[in-house]
Amino acid sequence: MKPILRISDLSTRFFTKSGQVNAVESLSMSIDDGEVFGIVGESGSGKSVTARSLIRLIESPGKITAGKIEYRNAEVADEIEDSNPEAVDGDYVDLAALPEDVVRSLRGPSFSMIFQDPESSFNPTLTVGEQIAEAVEVQRRASSNPRSVKSRTSSSAYSLRSYAYGTIMPNRSYVSSESKDRAVELLQQVGIPDPEERVDEYPHEYSGGMLQRAMIAQALAGEPDILVADEPTTALDVTIQAQVLNLLRDIQEETGMTILLITHNLGVIARMCDRVGVMYAGEIVERGTLSNIFDEAVHPYTKGLLGSIPDIGSAGGRLQPIEGNVPSLMDEEMGNRCYFADRCPKAMKTCLEKPADLSVDGAKEHEVQCVLAKEEYDESDALDPGQFEGEDS
Amino acid sequence: MRLTRFFIRRTLQGLLVVWGVITIVFLLRFITPGNPIDFVAPLDASPELRQSLAADLGLDKPLYVQYFEYVTSLVQGDMGYSFLRGQPASDIIFRRLPATLELAIASTVVAIVFSIPLGVISATRRNEPVDYAATSFSLAGISTPNFWLGIMLILVVGVQFELLPTSRRIIGFAPAVEMLIFDQSTLGIRAWLEHIILPAVTLGTYFTALIVRLTRSGMLEELGKSYVESSRAKGLPETLVRYKHVLRNTMIPIITVLGLQLGTLIGGAVITESVFSWPGLGTLVIDAINQRDWPLIQGTIIIIGTGFVIINIFVDALYTYLNPQVEFE
Amino acid sequence: MISDRVKQSIRAELRRSLMAKIGIVLVVAIILVATFAPFLATQNPKEQNLSESNIPPVGFTESTEEIQFIDGERQTVTETVGGSLDHPLGTNQLGQDMFSRVVYGARTSLAVGVLGTLIAMLTGVTVGLIAGFYGGRVDDGLMRFADIMLAFPALVLAIALIGLLGPQTIDIPDPFVALGLVDGMPSSFTLPLTVTLVVALVNWVWFARVARGEALTVRERNYVKASRSLGASNPRLMIRHVLPNSLTPIIVLATIQVAVIILLESSLSFLGFSGTNLSWGFDISQGRDLLATSWWIATVPGLAIVLAVIGINLVGDWLRDALDPDIEGEGGGM
Repeated sequence: MKPILRISDLSTRFFTKSGQVNAVESLSMSIDDGEVFGIVGESGSGKSVTARSLIRLIESPGKITAGKIEYRNAEVADEIEDSNPEAVDGDYVDLAALPEDVVRSLRGPSFSMIFQDPESSFNPTLTVGEQIAEAVEVQRRASSNPRSVKSRTSSSAYSLRSYAYGTIMPNRSYVSSESKDRAVELLQQVGIPDPEERVDEYPHEYSGGMLQRAMIAQALAGEPDILVADEPTTALDVTIQAQVLNLLRDIQEETGMTILLITHNLGVIARMCDRVGVMYAGEIVERGTLSNIFDEAVHPYTKGLLGSIPDIGSAGGRLQPIEGNVPSLMDEEMGNRCYFADRCPKAMKTCLEKPADLSVDGAKEHEVQCVLAKEEYDESDALDPGQFEGEDS
Repeated sequence: MRLTRFFIRRTLQGLLVVWGVITIVFLLRFITPGNPIDFVAPLDASPELRQSLAADLGLDKPLYVQYFEYVTSLVQGDMGYSFLRGQPASDIIFRRLPATLELAIASTVVAIVFSIPLGVISATRRNEPVDYAATSFSLAGISTPNFWLGIMLILVVGVQFELLPTSRRIIGFAPAVEMLIFDQSTLGIRAWLEHIILPAVTLGTYFTALIVRLTRSGMLEELGKSYVESSRAKGLPETLVRYKHVLRNTMIPIITVLGLQLGTLIGGAVITESVFSWPGLGTLVIDAINQRDWPLIQGTIIIIGTGFVIINIFVDALYTYLNPQVEFE
Repeated sequence: MISDRVKQSIRAELRRSLMAKIGIVLVVAIILVATFAPFLATQNPKEQNLSESNIPPVGFTESTEEIQFIDGERQTVTETVGGSLDHPLGTNQLGQDMFSRVVYGARTSLAVGVLGTLIAMLTGVTVGLIAGFYGGRVDDGLMRFADIMLAFPALVLAIALIGLLGPQTIDIPDPFVALGLVDGMPSSFTLPLTVTLVVALVNWVWFARVARGEALTVRERNYVKASRSLGASNPRLMIRHVLPNSLTPIIVLATIQVAVIILLESSLSFLGFSGTNLSWGFDISQGRDLLATSWWIATVPGLAIVLAVIGINLVGDWLRDALDPDIEGEGGGM
C-alpha cells in the first residue's frame, strides 16, 4: 500500500534576529493510510514545528526551506494538475509547492489539527457552536463537490460580505442553521452531553476536557483524511487525558482516518500508536513499529527516554530528563555531526560525523540514525566530553 | 432583565458622579478670588445697588443654603440666568449643544473610517512600507497639537488654495436636512459639509492616530494567540480570520479606552471650536470664563460631565455585550 | 530599585530600534536647548524692534503691497522683504526674533511638562497606593473621586481653574545671566505656576489608576501577606514592596504624560491662559491672525512642539516596548 503522506528532506528554518534556527532538519518519513503515527521527543526537539509544517501553518519568521510534503489524493491531484503541474506527481500532491489558497482549501477536508491548549485555541468571544459551525460552513459553501478545490478557493464562498452583514446585525449568526445543526451532531459525536444547549455556550463556560472534545469536533467538521494532534492531552488532568485518548482512538477506528500524534509522553504513544518516530534536534533519530521502539531500541536517546517509564502502557509515563540540554538549534552551532553526541553515554569518535539512516537487523520498518546500529560501542574510541564545550565557545 | 439591572445600577453610579461634578463646580466659585458681583454690577454702582443685585442672584445667603437651592433648581432643569446675557443658562447651552455634537460626531466618524483600516493594514503588513507610513502618521498625529493642525489647515486649504471656508458654522445639520427634504435643495447640506470638514479633520486626526496605534498593537497581540492558528487550521480564509476573529477581539478593549478618551475629545472640541470660531459649547465656555459668567460656566461643565457619564455607561454596556467573559452586573 | 534584567532589556531595545534612537536624540536636544537657551538665542526673545517686524525665515521672501499717495497721485508700492541669517526663523509682528523665542519656548514647555508630571505622579501614586493597599471603603471613596475627575474634560477643567484663579507665575532668576556668563538675555525665567499645578491636577488620575492596579496585585502576593502577618506596618509595606514593583509602569506612564502635558500647556497658552508670553502656544496664537501675510509666525513654534512631543513619545514607546507594562492613559493631550 502506498503511504498517504510522504515527507522527504523537509527543512523548516526560523530566521530570527539572533540568528537562523534549524527547527526541522532534512526530515523524511512516511505515514500509511489509516494508521496512528506518533512523534515523540523533548520540548524543543522540533516536533510541533514538524506538525505545523505538514499543514503549512508556519508563520514568519519561519519558512519551509526545502523538501517535499507529498499527500496522496487522486482527486485533488487531478484538479490541481492544470494550475500547478509542478506540485503533482501521479496521485501525490506536494503541499510544500502549492500556493497558499490551495493549501487553505485542503485544510478541513484533507487535514486538520488539534492543539495543545484547548482553552486558548478557541476564540473567547464566540460561542463554541459558532466556531465549530464555521468549520462546517467553510466546507459546506465549498458547494456541491466537497472536494472541488476551485470552488473552495474562489473568494465568493463564505466571504467578508456575509460577515459585514453580520456586523450590522450583531445578533445574527454568521453561519447557516444547517451548519449549526451539524455542529450539534459533531458535539454529540465527541460525547458532549446536552449538545443542543452547550452549542450556544462560550469557551469559558466549558471545562478543559470538554473544550478538547469540542476541538476534536471542530477538527472533524471537514471529515479530514489526516488529523494532526499536537500534544492533545498535555494540558488536561490525567483522568481526562485517558478519556480524550479513548475518544480519538474510537473516532479513528470509526472513520479510518490517519492520525499524526505529537507528544512528549511515551505512555500516550504506547497506548495510541502503530508506529513511532523519535525526534531529536529537528531530526527523526529512530523510527519503527511500537515494538521496535519499546523493545528493540538502538539509539541511546530512545533508550534514555524509555529508561524513565516504570510501567509501559500507563498514561502517566513521563520522560525522565536525560542529562544535558536539547541543543539550541541555532544554525551556527549545529555543525555536521550527531547532535546527541554531547549527551550520549556511548559517544564515539565516529559520532563527529553525521550518521546515516541505517536499518536495524535488516528490518525494513526499523531505522535509526546512529552508528550503534552496525557496530558495538568501543570504550577505547570514546569521545571526550570536553570536546563540545570547546566547540561551542 | 439583567440588562435592565445593569443600566439601573450604572445609572445610579453615574448619578453619584454627576452629583460630585455639580458639587465641585459649585465650590469652584468660592475658591475664586474676586466677588462675582463685581462682574455684574456697573463700575460705579452704589453699595445698595450691589446689595440688591446680590440678593437678586441669591449671593447673600449662607453657603449651604445656596448649595441646597442650587441643587434643587438643577434637578428642576433650572441652571439659573446668565449674568451677562439675561437668558436662562440652559437655553443658551442647549442652543449651542448641536454644534458641538455635530463636530464631535463628525470627527469620530472621520476617525473610525480612517483609523481601523489603517491599523489593520499596518498590523497585517508589519514592517512593510505601508506599516511604516501608518505608524509614522499615527506618531505625528498624537504628537501634533490640534489647534496648530487646525491653523495649518486654514493656512494651506483656506488661505493658500482657498478651497474651503475656514470659520463659523452657517447652518446646522438639522435645518440643512430639512432644506434637502422640503426644498429639494442640496445647498444647505453642501454648506454644512464645507464648513465642518476642516474642524472635523482637525479634531479627528488625533483620534485617528490614537486608534491606529491601538488597533495595530492590539491586533499584533491578538494575531499571536493560538485561536488564530486553530482558525486557520480548520480552513477559514485569512480575511475571515482577520476581520471576524482578530479585529473583533481587538476592538473590544479599544472601546473602553475610547470611552475614557472622551474627555480628550471634548477638550479637543473646545480648542478646535476656538480655532474655527465654531459656535459650540467650547467657545461658549471660554467666553463664559473670561466674563466670569458663573451660571453659564457651571451649566456647561455639568452638561459636559453628564454627557461623559452617559456615554461611558453605554460604552460599558457595549463592552459587556461584546465580551461574553464579562457578565452584566 | 531597577533590576539588571530591566536595564538590559532597555538597552537591547535601544540597540534594536532606530525610532528609540531618534527619540533619545530629540529629547536630549530639547533638554540641552532648554537648559542653555541664553547661549543659543541670538537675541533677547522679548526685545521688540518694530523696524524689523514680520521678516520671513531665511530663504523666503514676502511681498506686501501698499497704497501710497505720492505727489497727490495714488500709487501701489510693492515692498519685498527677504529673510536673512540675522533672523534665521524670521521675526514676528513686534520684530522679535522667532529663533530666540523658539529656543526660550522650550524652557517653558519642558519646565511645565516635567514639573507637572512630577506633581501629578506624586499625588496620583500616593492616592493610588493608598486606595489599592487599604482596599474597601478607602478604595471605593478614592476611586469614585477619580471617576469624577475623569468626567471633567481635562482641558475644560484646566481652563476653568486658570480662568478663575488667574494665571499666577513665578520668576526664577536665570543662573547664567546672574553669573554674568551671557549678556542681553532675560534675567529671569517665568514659570507659569497655575498652569503647572492645574495640568498636574487634571492628570494625576492616570497615575492613581496604575498605582492602584499594581498595589492590588502586589498586596495579594505571599511575601507581602507574610510581612503583614509579621506585623509590618502598612506604610512601610507600601514603600518597601508595592512601590518598587509599580515602578515600571509608572515610569512609562510618566514619560507619556510629559508629552501629554506639553500638549496641554501649549493649548492653554494658545488660548491665552498661561501667564507667560514666552511659550510656543502663545506664539502660535499671535501668528494665527497673520496667516495671510506672515505664515511663519504660527508655523515655526508649532513645528517645535511637534518635534519635542514626537521625541518624548518615541522614548515612551521605547520604554514601553522594553518593559512591556500593561497601562492605560495614553493620550489625553492635544
